Amino acid sequence: MELSDANLQTLTEYLKKTLDPDPAIRRPAEKFLESVEGSQNYPLLLLTLLEKSQENVIKVCASVTFKNYIKRNWRIVEDEPNKICEPDRIAIKANIVPLMLSSPEQIQKQLSDAISIIGREDFPQKWPDLLTEMVNRFQSGDFHVINGVLRTAHSLFKRYRHEFKSNELWTEIKLVLDAFALPLTNLFKATIELCSTHANDASALKVLFSSLILIAKLFYSLNFQDLPEFFEDNMETWMTNFHSLLTLDNKLLQTDDEEEAGLLELLKSQICDNAALYAQKYDEEFQPYLPRFVTAIWNLLVTTGQEVKYDLLVSNAIQFLASVCERPHYKHLFEDQNTLTSICEKVIVPNMEFRVADEEAFEDNSEEYIRRDLEGSDIDTRRRAACDLVRGLCKFFEGPVTGIFSGYVNSMLQEYAKNPSVNWKHKDAAIYLVTSLASKAQTQKHGITQANELVNLTEFFVNHIQPDLKSASVNEFPVLKADGIKYIMIFRNQVPKEQLLVSIPLLISHLQAESIVVHTYAAHALERLFTMRGTNNTTLITAAEMAPFVEVLLTNLFKALTLPGSSENEYVMKAIMRSFSLLQESIIPYIPSVITQLTQKLLAVSKNPSKPHFNHYMFESICLSIRITCKANPDAVGSFEEALFLVFTEILQNDVQEFIPYVFQVMSLLLEMHKNEIPSSYMALFPHLLQPVLWERTGNIPPLVRLLQAYLERGANTIASAAADKIPGLLGVFQKLIASKANDHQGFYLLNSIIEHMPPESVDQYRKQIFILLFQRLQNSKTTKFIKSFLVFINLYCIKYGALALQEIFDSIQPKMFGMVLEKIIIPEIQKVSGQVEKKICAVGITKILTECPPMMDTEYTKLWTPLLQALIGLFELPEDDTIPDEEHFIDIEDTPGYQTAFSQLAFAGKKEHDPVGQMVNNPRIHLAQSLHKLSTACPGRVPSMLSTSLNAEALQYLQGYLQAASVTLL
Amino acid sequence: MPVVNERSERMKKFKNKGKDAAALRRQRVEVNIELRKAKKDEQILKRRSISFSLMDESLSLGEEKRNEIIQLSLEEIVEAVNGSNTELQLQATQATRRMLSRQKDPPINQIIELGIIPRLVEFLTHADNAPLQFEAAWALTNIASGTSDHTKAVVEGGAIPAFISLLSSPHMHISEQSVWALGNIAGDGPLYRDALINCNVIPPLLALVSPVTPVGFLRNITWTLSNLCRNKNPYPPLDAVKKVLPVLTCLMEHEDKDIISDSCWAVSYLTDGSNDRIQIVVDTGILPRLVELMASPELIVMTPALRAIGNVVTGTDEQTQAAIDAGVLAVLPALLRHAKPTIQKEAAWTLSNIAAGPCQQIQQLITCGLLPPLVELLDKGDFKAQKEAVWAVANFTTGGTVEQVVELVHSGVLKPLLNLLLAKDSKTILVILDTISNLFLAAEKLGETESLCLLVEELDGLEKIEALQTHDNNMVYRAALNIIEKYFSGEENPDLQPGTGQDGLYDFSVEKQDFNF
Repeated sequence: MELSDANLQTLTEYLKKTLDPDPAIRRPAEKFLESVEGSQNYPLLLLTLLEKSQENVIKVCASVTFKNYIKRNWRIVEDEPNKICEPDRIAIKANIVPLMLSSPEQIQKQLSDAISIIGREDFPQKWPDLLTEMVNRFQSGDFHVINGVLRTAHSLFKRYRHEFKSNELWTEIKLVLDAFALPLTNLFKATIELCSTHANDASALKVLFSSLILIAKLFYSLNFQDLPEFFEDNMETWMTNFHSLLTLDNKLLQTDDEEEAGLLELLKSQICDNAALYAQKYDEEFQPYLPRFVTAIWNLLVTTGQEVKYDLLVSNAIQFLASVCERPHYKHLFEDQNTLTSICEKVIVPNMEFRVADEEAFEDNSEEYIRRDLEGSDIDTRRRAACDLVRGLCKFFEGPVTGIFSGYVNSMLQEYAKNPSVNWKHKDAAIYLVTSLASKAQTQKHGITQANELVNLTEFFVNHIQPDLKSASVNEFPVLKADGIKYIMIFRNQVPKEQLLVSIPLLISHLQAESIVVHTYAAHALERLFTMRGTNNTTLITAAEMAPFVEVLLTNLFKALTLPGSSENEYVMKAIMRSFSLLQESIIPYIPSVITQLTQKLLAVSKNPSKPHFNHYMFESICLSIRITCKANPDAVGSFEEALFLVFTEILQNDVQEFIPYVFQVMSLLLEMHKNEIPSSYMALFPHLLQPVLWERTGNIPPLVRLLQAYLERGANTIASAAADKIPGLLGVFQKLIASKANDHQGFYLLNSIIEHMPPESVDQYRKQIFILLFQRLQNSKTTKFIKSFLVFINLYCIKYGALALQEIFDSIQPKMFGMVLEKIIIPEIQKVSGQVEKKICAVGITKILTECPPMMDTEYTKLWTPLLQALIGLFELPEDDTIPDEEHFIDIEDTPGYQTAFSQLAFAGKKEHDPVGQMVNNPRIHLAQSLHKLSTACPGRVPSMLSTSLNAEALQYLQGYLQAASVTLL
Repeated sequence: MPVVNERSERMKKFKNKGKDAAALRRQRVEVNIELRKAKKDEQILKRRSISFSLMDESLSLGEEKRNEIIQLSLEEIVEAVNGSNTELQLQATQATRRMLSRQKDPPINQIIELGIIPRLVEFLTHADNAPLQFEAAWALTNIASGTSDHTKAVVEGGAIPAFISLLSSPHMHISEQSVWALGNIAGDGPLYRDALINCNVIPPLLALVSPVTPVGFLRNITWTLSNLCRNKNPYPPLDAVKKVLPVLTCLMEHEDKDIISDSCWAVSYLTDGSNDRIQIVVDTGILPRLVELMASPELIVMTPALRAIGNVVTGTDEQTQAAIDAGVLAVLPALLRHAKPTIQKEAAWTLSNIAAGPCQQIQQLITCGLLPPLVELLDKGDFKAQKEAVWAVANFTTGGTVEQVVELVHSGVLKPLLNLLLAKDSKTILVILDTISNLFLAAEKLGETESLCLLVEELDGLEKIEALQTHDNNMVYRAALNIIEKYFSGEENPDLQPGTGQDGLYDFSVEKQDFNF
């Protein structure tokens, strides 16, 4: 393409068309531009247009097109053609900087972006004069130009903030420092001087402050990797000026906007960042300046207003102080009583005040308010920063700080008492202050775990918290109510039980409060109180103590779900679940009404599930209703099926993905409640459960396996007779699961149930294939988890089919396979098996191999007999794993292990551990002794001789113990 | 699937436990480019001899009277020096020396431009005129103390052989001044250092060391010796090193702290190199003394001793073991807790290299109680030291046994380690992420993956790792992503996947292969 007027004209027309809203016009134009962008001069035509076009819209359009062109084509990828010819590259680099600098801001930004893309590839080697070209512009005195240069430099240098140290990078930085650091410093000084000469010229100041912000950002980038010699030598200049900028104020720069941060705030924020960078990384060199910054920053805090636009600056500044005051060698900066008092009075207290913005959030955006206040997502808020500063100061000055604040708390409470309806915010601040002062460590699970001993929490509770909650109206002073409830919640471990018991009815009545925050907090507090542990691993608050409140509790909880804004309130639903779990059989009389309300809720939310936690607790509550009721009356299962199946069918038919795993879990629970043969309603569903589409979703796998296990337990014979053609599909599921490292244990659960429950003849033809599959996994990608499951399975198989059958099937797959598995897998790995039932299965299986498998006695396998026995004794004598307690009440949903993305296990749908060996063998050690005795009777002399030749002494001693306990001797 | 390959590459790296100690042990210099100022606690390369007062001067000049000082112009100096009047030669040389000895802005360049250096060198040979020899030596010493160009002017004036022969001067003050001058020349760099060594500077220099050598003189000799040991690219010739070392080990036993300090610096230079150079030092049996000096209350002694030992443990496992046997592990805790950040940092660097060793050495590190100070440093140390501590932990988790890693976790390393994921340094973050992967590998072996997941989450680590998935640095973000993918979600084994049959269900099918576990 020639650089001709005709081509410029053509290009203009096409560019114009790319702006057309009609795709029929726009698309072909875009296509055309794409087709010519490989031609020489194309980028130069664009640059000409963006400079000289008569129409502004074409200028802008050309600049955007140019930037995108550079973005797509500038990088030279190895083995791919160079997409921009060399003369164009040279011409672009020669012209772009002056062009960028002389363009209006809108175009300047595009070109600046383009320069940084080019710079990323070409700078410094292939663009050696870029730096000098930029630096020369500093002298221009035109701050429009200077800001263009600074912005470009910022986009070129900001990568120094995240790249790794390397020779290449540091060579570049050194080059930049050599060329740039001094001019930047001079520019910095000159700009500051200009700020004072133009102190009365608002528009000049704005430009100058934009420069200062960019300069401060460049400072951050250039100082990030290490402290450059130049900046160490010139620390005085930079830090003195930064320091004075922090203290500077100019009415002309103040903005009217309350929300958006102005230039002054942005600059000061960046300076705080710069100071924090030096304090973190270059403490040694920065030490002489640090005290000045501490003073400046707290003065800044004292003089900064409450408006939202200052929030980031204020919280940055407070966090800076908080991080400094914790360090031992800066302790002295804060030690003075006057200093402490002034920080407390002028920095902490004002930033803890409840502001208009907080009030608005409390009323109109309660979800956000709760998230910030309760769940700690308040990292950038002023209150959080102030709280962190209190904690930081308490590290060294707990006594004095507590003393100072006690005075404040008292005076604020007095203010409140004078006129509550006007001064309620004073009490809010007092409560917040007490809370932040008293809490030293906190977890979601336990509330406050470490408290300041200098604060009397119970006294404050009785005198100032309870009276608010006892007031006749639950809707008066909602903020104070929420504060009071939160106080109970977080100090639940510090306040004595009798006070908690007094609070429970108060909390229950606040479930009716109109304010979303208040009834949410009430539900949350109840839920937390119900999970507290008393002595003997029971709940602190017992069902008996709750007896008088059962009805009102349940009524108010369900009523809370009807309050505006709370129809899917997860805190309320969680409190329902926890109440069921605590109250147990005392809820039975209310179940008919409860289950109706829950199924209605389920039906409603399944149209559009949006609150995962709410849904989870709702299903937990359903499970609890089933378990509690059926425990007392097993026949009630039918009425639950009647109430639930209609909704479940709808969920499955509509493929409500979020709910399907839950539905499977509830169905499993229901099916397991049945004592007799599997109902036909379940069998009709069976083929659908084997559909691959269900198994492709990881969240479905555990509950589906669980459900298929329930099918096998209750209906193995029905499956064998009525659905034999589905057995390959069932095994296909097993194969699918076994292929996955994450899900192989699920595959084994399924396989174990198949082997245990299916009639042997129905799976005969598949047995060999099953083992081949397992051996393949073992060979190709063996993991500890797989081996553990594998060992349990083969021993279960041995128990079910006999040791000889195990040996025969192994050896039929490959000669001597049995010996190899014994030697390479069972003997060395058996001690890894964990879990009481699993160990028992392995013990009984191995006993069978030792005593009921003739080839172990009279083939080459004999040499493995004693090592196997030794391994078994090792398994016995390992310390037992702790079993999972039956009482799962305390399990927190968030705490349950397994980080499946989509699967949420229902704690209350859990099944009891199943022991396939059961009563057949009570004591595996005795069982071993007896089996050995039997073996030795069959072939006298052999067993003792095998023992004496190679069993080690310790194992022999254990074995003799077993024989004695079983009162048998070996012949 | 590139992602999988990449991961297995990484895994290979992790599983290669401690086998490639050379890669784990980090030499002193990773990056040749420095942004920082030259380090303040380094030994001085060149020194100028300054006259602080007339008193001082008259003392050093002996009988000469103080009011004999004569001011001369530069022209007069040139004329006198080039003339034949020995009296004027002495006056001019003295005037030159005096200008070069003034405290502020000595006119080194101007003096060089006068072109009198060859003449001054010539004066060095005037054995019959000791005062002239001395003044010339002093003046040349101070010229050589300047920039490389200044030193070059002196060397090119032919000063090296002249000074070397003056070492044997019967006048001690002349011999001492020559030692000083030679020290400045040697300090310039490897080129002149080797030029001196090739001119056989070492034997006469060592001959000056004797039980009766005055302390001040001995200090100068030790400093010059240390400059002869200094600098890499290339290292000083081996046979020279072997000649100097026995004397250095003796000097290290001296009671003067400056002498000890400079001899430690010398040893630290000799150990800052390849393993065969370290071995020569180890063979002298000096390590126990160095370790003893590491515990010295004198910063100028402790700093080079720590540095020397730090260099030794960059060597082979055996060399590191020699340092351990010398007791380094007993001294390190105090240094890790030292008030000075650079000492903390050097100590942590030393520890990181010991942690890069085989598990027996890691065990000794545990037994000697190094874990608590390491965790403390990680928690509250200066940032430079924290970075080294992170390396120590990383190496520990790479080479340690599962039990040792468990011990490390029990000592509370996880919380400060995870907190440092907020550090303003990408490399440190990446090393921490690698360390976390190592911890997970150990947890997997114990079947404790899930508990580690929970622990990491409880300590707000998961939140931080998740946040790093949006880090601007590619490697950081991928490392974070890998951990999340590997330990906080599932993974498939494609070979064994079943197909789907005609009924739409999974096909249960398999092909037989030979098994060998």
